[in-house]
Amino acid sequence: MSAVDPAQVGDFTDQQHDDVEQVITMSTSPVPLLSMRGISKNFGAVEALAGVDLDVFAHEVVALVGDNGAGKSTLAKVIAGAHTPDSGLIEIAGEPTSIPTPSAARTLGVATVFQDLALCDNLDVTSNLFLGREVKRGGLRDDGYMEATARRVLQALNSRIPSVRTPLSTLSAGQRQAVAIARTLIGEPRIVVLDEPTAALSVGQTAEVLTHIERLRELGLAVILISHNMTDVRAVSDRIVVLRHGRNNGTFDAATTSHEAVLAAITGATVRSTPRLHALR
Amino acid sequence: MSTDTNLAPAMPSGEQARIPLSQRLSGLGGNARQYGIFAALIVIILLFQGLTDGRLLKPDNVVSLFQQNAYVMVLAIGMVMVIVAGHIDLSVGSVVALVGGIVALSITDWGLPWWVAVLLGVAIGAVVGAWQGFWIAYVGIPAFIVTLAGMLIFRGLALVVVSQTIRVNDDNFNSIVSGSLPNFLGFSGDMDVVTLVIGALTIAAFAIAQFRARMQLRKHDLHVEALGLFIAKLVGVAVAVGFLSVLLSLSAGGMPIILVIVGVLIVAYTFLMGRTVFGRHIYAVGGNRPAASLSGVRTKRVDFMIFVNIGALAGVAAIITTARGGAAVAAAGQNFELDAIAACFIGGAAVTGGIGRISGAIVGALIMGVLNMGLSIMSVDPSWQQAIKGLVLLFAVAFDLINKRRAGTS
Ligand SMILES: Nc1ncnc2c1ncn2[C@@H]1O[C@H](COP(=O)(O)OP(=O)(O)OP(=O)(O)O)[C@@H](O)[C@H]1O
Ligand SMILES: [Mg+2]
Repeated sequence: MSAVDPAQVGDFTDQQHDDVEQVITMSTSPVPLLSMRGISKNFGAVEALAGVDLDVFAHEVVALVGDNGAGKSTLAKVIAGAHTPDSGLIEIAGEPTSIPTPSAARTLGVATVFQDLALCDNLDVTSNLFLGREVKRGGLRDDGYMEATARRVLQALNSRIPSVRTPLSTLSAGQRQAVAIARTLIGEPRIVVLDEPTAALSVGQTAEVLTHIERLRELGLAVILISHNMTDVRAVSDRIVVLRHGRNNGTFDAATTSHEAVLAAITGATVRSTPRLHALR
Repeated sequence: MSTDTNLAPAMPSGEQARIPLSQRLSGLGGNARQYGIFAALIVIILLFQGLTDGRLLKPDNVVSLFQQNAYVMVLAIGMVMVIVAGHIDLSVGSVVALVGGIVALSITDWGLPWWVAVLLGVAIGAVVGAWQGFWIAYVGIPAFIVTLAGMLIFRGLALVVVSQTIRVNDDNFNSIVSGSLPNFLGFSGDMDVVTLVIGALTIAAFAIAQFRARMQLRKHDLHVEALGLFIAKLVGVAVAVGFLSVLLSLSAGGMPIILVIVGVLIVAYTFLMGRTVFGRHIYAVGGNRPAASLSGVRTKRVDFMIFVNIGALAGVAAIITTARGGAAVAAAGQNFELDAIAACFIGGAAVTGGIGRISGAIVGALIMGVLNMGLSIMSVDPSWQQAIKGLVLLFAVAFDLINKRRAGTS
C-alpha cells in the first residue's frame, strides 16, 4: 500500500533506531528537545543574531516569525550546522552540543528545509532526497532501494511529482519545494526546521504540508516553522516566537494571542520597541 | 514514538508507476545526447573510411589509433571529473613532462626496475595533484589560477629535470605502448585468438552488467527501459566491440597492451562515477556547491580528491608518453591539457559543471583521434588539421547547445 511508516523510511542503521528510542523517552520529559541560549552571529558589521534564546519541546510546533532580515534563516542555519554561532549555548535533549557541520546536525537528528531549498538541479529527485546520506550496499550505492524509498516518501506527501527520475531542473518551484520537504522524511529526524516551506505552494499543497507538520508533531518531533504567512502559522503552531533585528521580541501562545499582538511584535510597535538602529545594515 | 502512524493520505498505489509517455521521452533525453555522440563517432569513422579508400580501418592503423590517443583518453577521464565538479585543470601537459622526466631518470640513472618507475610516476603525479588540490579545495583559489600557475611551475621543473633528452632503453617499459598481449592461444585463420576471447568476454561482461542492473530495478518494481531499446543497446555494443576485436586480431601484434590498460581505466572510472557515492558527490558539487555542502557532502574533500586523481592520471599519461617515444623530453605534453579539455566538451560535458560522462569524454577523444589519423592518412597539412579540429570542437558544442534550446531545457 501507499502507507509510509516513517520508521521504515529511515530504516538504515541501528544508530537511528537508538535515536528513535531517545525520542520516546524525551517526549515524556520536561527538558526541551532543542534549547538555545544567547545565540549571536555576526556577518562582518551585520549583527544577524544578538543573544537569541529558543526552546522547542517534543510534540511541539514553534513558529519563528519576524520581518525580512530579522535573522530567522540565520538561526535556522545555526541549528542546521551551516553557520557556527559566535557565542551561545545549544542543548539537544538536555545535552550541551555544538553543531559544526550539516552532517553533525543530521547525526544529532536535525533535518532542515532551507529557504533557498539547497537542491542540485543537475541531479534527479531521488539523488537529491538522499544527497549526503546515500544508502550503500556492499560499498556501492543502492540506487534501487533509494528510488523505491523516494517514491514512497513522495507519495506520503501527496506531491505532484511525475517521476523520481526527473532532474530537478525540470520541476516547478512548488514541486522543488515538495522535494525539499520530502528530505525531512528520510533519516528519522527528531528536530525538523522548515524555512518558509510553503512560499511557492498552491493552496492544496500548502494544506498538505501543514498536515505533514501536524503529523510530525504527533510523532513526537520538535518542529520549527519559519513563515511570513500568519494564517499558516496560526493553523499549526503551538507557540509563536518573534525575532526582530536579531533579538527575541516576545513569545506568544498561538491559541490565545491575538493576531494584532503578534503583528505589533513583528513590526516593533510593542514589547522591546527600543530602536536598535545599529542592528540594521 | 508510534511507529504505526499512517503518514500517507490515501493515494491509489501504483499511481506513480504509470509514467506518462512525455515523461519517458524526456527521460530518454539524457541518454539521447549520449547516443548522439556515439552516432557522431560512427559517422566520422565512416566518412574517413571513405575518404581514405578504406585505409583508416586497416588493422595496424586501428592499433596505432589507440597507441597515439591513449594519453588523451587517460587525461580526459581525469579531466571530465574535474569539469563535472566545476573546475578546470590547465597543468596536465606540464605534469606529463615533469613526471615523464623523473620516470626516465629513475630507470636510466637510478637503475630502478621499470615497474617501480611506473609506480613512482603515478605517485609523483598524485603528489602534484595533492599540491594543486590543497590550494583549490582548502585555500579556495580558483582552479583556473592554481593550475595556470602549475602549468608554469611544472614546465619549469621539467626543464630543470630534463636538461637534455633522456633515452629509455628498457624494452619492458617501452612495450607498455608498443607491445601486444602474447598470442598464446594461437591463431584462427589470420586472427589472434587472445584478442577474440577478450572481445567476447567484454561483450559478455557488458551484457551481464546491464542485465543485472535491469533486474535490480525490476526487483524494486521500478520503471525500466523498453525491452526493444535495451536489446538494441546490447546488440549495438556487441557489434561494435566484436568488429573492433576482429580488426585488432588481424593486426600485426594482436591485442595492444595499452588498449587493455585504457579499457580497464574506462570501466573502473565509469563505475566510480556511475555507481559510487563519491561519483554522485562529484556531480552534486558541480551542480550546486553550497547545496551539496548544506546536504552534508564534504565538498572540499571532493575537490581535493579529484585533483589528486587527475594528478595520478597525468602520471599515467606521462608513462604512456615516455614509453611511446622511448625517451623523455622537456617539451613533452605540450597542449595535452587542451586535447583533454576538448575531448570532454565534444563528449557533452557542460562548461558550468554538473554534467559530463566518462564515456562521452572517451568518445570525444576518439573523435579527435580519428580526425587526426584520417587527415594524416590523407596527408592534410598539420596546420589545417589543427584548424579543422578547432572547428569540430566549436560545432560540436554549438550543436549541443542548439539541441538543448530546442528541447527547452536550457
Ligand atoms: N551569509 C551572509 N553573509 C552576510 N550577511 C548575511 C548572511 N546571511 C544573512 N546575512 C544578514 O543577516 C541578516 C539576517 O538575515 P536572515 O537571512 O537571517 O533574515 P530572515 O529573517 O531570514 O529574512 P527573510 O524573511 O527575508 O528570509 C540580514 O541583515 C542579512 O543581510
Ligand atoms: Mg529567511
